[in-house]
Amino acid sequence: MKIQSILVVDDDENDQFICEYTIRKYDSAIRVLKAFDGAEALNVLRGDTPDAIILDINMPVMNGFEFLDRYAQEFEVHAPVVAMLTSSHLGKDRERAMQYDFVKSYFEKPLEPDHLRVMAELLG
Amino acid sequence: MNWQWSWQRANLAAGIWCLVVGIGMMTFWLMEPVDLAGHLPFLFGMKFNAALAAVMTGAALLLSARGLRTLPTLLLLVVLIYGVLALSQHVLAIDVGIDTLLNTPFMDIGTSRPGRIAPNTALCFILVSLALMLRIIRRKTDTVQVLLGLSAIIIAAAALVGYAIALDIAHDWIRFTRMSIPSASCFIALGMSIVFVDTEETGYHRSTLASILGLSTYLVLLAMAYYELARYETAFGITFTADTGNGRSTLTSLIVISGVLYGGLVAHLYFSSRRARRMADDLAESRARLAAVIDNAVDGIILIDDRGIILKVNAACTRIFGYGSDDMIGQNVKMLMPDPYHRDHDRYISNYQRSGEAKVIGIGREVEGRRQSGEIFPLDLAVARIDLNGATIYSGIVRDISERKESEHALIDANTELEEFAYRTSHDLRSPIASSMGLLKISRMMLADGDLKGLAQTLQRMEKNFGRLDHLIQNIITITRNRLMEEEKSTISLRAAVSDAIDSLSHLEEFRRIRIENHIAAELTIISNPSKFDVIVGNMLSNAIKYHDPQEAQPRIDIRALRSAGGIRLSVEDNGLGVPPASRHLLFRMFKRLHPNRSFGSGLGLYILRKSAESLGGTALYEARDKGSRFIIELPVEETHENPIDPGRR
Repeated sequence: MKIQSILVVDDDENDQFICEYTIRKYDSAIRVLKAFDGAEALNVLRGDTPDAIILDINMPVMNGFEFLDRYAQEFEVHAPVVAMLTSSHLGKDRERAMQYDFVKSYFEKPLEPDHLRVMAELLG
Repeated sequence: MNWQWSWQRANLAAGIWCLVVGIGMMTFWLMEPVDLAGHLPFLFGMKFNAALAAVMTGAALLLSARGLRTLPTLLLLVVLIYGVLALSQHVLAIDVGIDTLLNTPFMDIGTSRPGRIAPNTALCFILVSLALMLRIIRRKTDTVQVLLGLSAIIIAAAALVGYAIALDIAHDWIRFTRMSIPSASCFIALGMSIVFVDTEETGYHRSTLASILGLSTYLVLLAMAYYELARYETAFGITFTADTGNGRSTLTSLIVISGVLYGGLVAHLYFSSRRARRMADDLAESRARLAAVIDNAVDGIILIDDRGIILKVNAACTRIFGYGSDDMIGQNVKMLMPDPYHRDHDRYISNYQRSGEAKVIGIGREVEGRRQSGEIFPLDLAVARIDLNGATIYSGIVRDISERKESEHALIDANTELEEFAYRTSHDLRSPIASSMGLLKISRMMLADGDLKGLAQTLQRMEKNFGRLDHLIQNIITITRNRLMEEEKSTISLRAAVSDAIDSLSHLEEFRRIRIENHIAAELTIISNPSKFDVIVGNMLSNAIKYHDPQEAQPRIDIRALRSAGGIRLSVEDNGLGVPPASRHLLFRMFKRLHPNRSFGSGLGLYILRKSAESLGGTALYEARDKGSRFIIELPVEETHENPIDPGRR
């Protein structure tokens, strides 16, 4: 299935740029939403449920895990595919993230078109 | 100590006895109480000369005990010469005219010539005066003196016993010349003093000497009795000889056998007393050794009974718990424990006694102790059960492990911090690299598409990434250097150091918008490590500049320093963005960035600030203001020792 919209949660402006560019190159029809930390992401999600979320872990104010906790508790409807996108590949972090049933994938930066393809497949 | 004291008193008593007896007898001889002499003739057995010699000997003993030497020696010399002369009159059958020289006796009792003393009395004077002179000259006791004293006692004691059992030869060595009872008492007193006072130090045990004395006196009496018996046999023609014809009467045999038995008994007593004494010495020594081991042990050792009452504690316990040993002994051991051990200790004991199930006994574990000050501290406790003569006691060995625990915690903290550092560093190092790899790929695509404008922007992003990476690595280098650097302390002028730091930050783009004021008094100095101090000041200022409020019409930073009790308080105050209350607990921790949209920092700045301040013995503090922040560093101040050759050298 085609992805209609993706929320990118990352504090790094460069990473946001890479994600947006890669997504546009992959499919320019996809709507890209942006949030610079977990708290902003929750605000965006209150008004919109995208098909997928790309989530960084290390962010100021509210990091990826805190966001996942709040997202699990406060939302009944979740985005079908939540993919972690981090710069380091630590088993401990991966295990912790995969405990949430809506977290489907764990990718390492930078975002590649292949990652998006996997997400599209997961969407069904 | 007490024994020594009483033996010294025996010395005194002997001297006084001689003086009293001697002076009393001389008085009698001078007063010539004829009636008294008629009724109690035996009192006058001691001649005037003997009484005088006894006075002189007693005086010499008392004087020498007070430390005098010459006068007592002279007195004793006179006594000795008199003794020799008196004895030689008997032995050589001569008369040197000393018997009535000083006093002509008004009556004669127990003597061969008026005023003449008995040969055994003369011999005793020789022995006693010689022994006392030797003691004064040599300033210590020796075997010769002991032997002389023993001989005098034996002769005098035999005479006294002779009076008691009517064995005349014991006091009458020559017919009609006897040692009187007063004389004999003086010789025994003097002899005792010679034999027993201070002789323990030379290795003679008093009990040994007493045994020898008793045995010798007995044997001498035995010999005399035998001699007397033989004399009667010859004199009166009576034969006590038994029918067996071996020339020895049953009576004599009995006397001899009893003498031998007595001697054997005394010898046995002597040896067993010596053995008992040696065992007692060994026991005392081993007890002393054990006590020394226990008292000098580094660990505390506590003995309690089966009710938990403290029986004994060693010195280490008083050091560990802060109580004196008297405050602990007799108390329940739970006084040394905080709750829940304090509350439950009685139950532990009764449980153990009922079920035999040990929680600590024979196992050892980590528990908590309570000092007199109320401080609770961790300790290692090992308890052993000791069964002694039907009673059970418990010995506890306690070791104060608070220092070990502290360093353990410090180590765990340091390790946790290091782990976090490694995790965050690897993440934050990879982050700009991963980003640049993505950007590189995009650049290639842009180049292929001919999008040169996009390409220029992407290259700019990459440049920013590398700048970030470089900044992070610089910060890591700062941390490592701070941790490892050995640096000489020197006098730092606070105002100058802050001015330098402000100048070095002037390249920051926001710099020109902000009014920075250095209020520090020019004369304020601190002795510290210059590099670390520069890191601190640089961090505080760059933070204040970075997190200024762009909306603020007049952004400003004020730097102040005050000398407070025992330290310097340096504050950097701004009217910038401040720190949201919810995030304040994250300040000074590594890799915490609190301003998401302005986070070009590595997240290490305040962490470096805190670590640097701590390594200089100070602290880093944050105070919120109505608008903005105040970061404070408190550093200890050391006395200024300016270099006299180069004052103010940095």
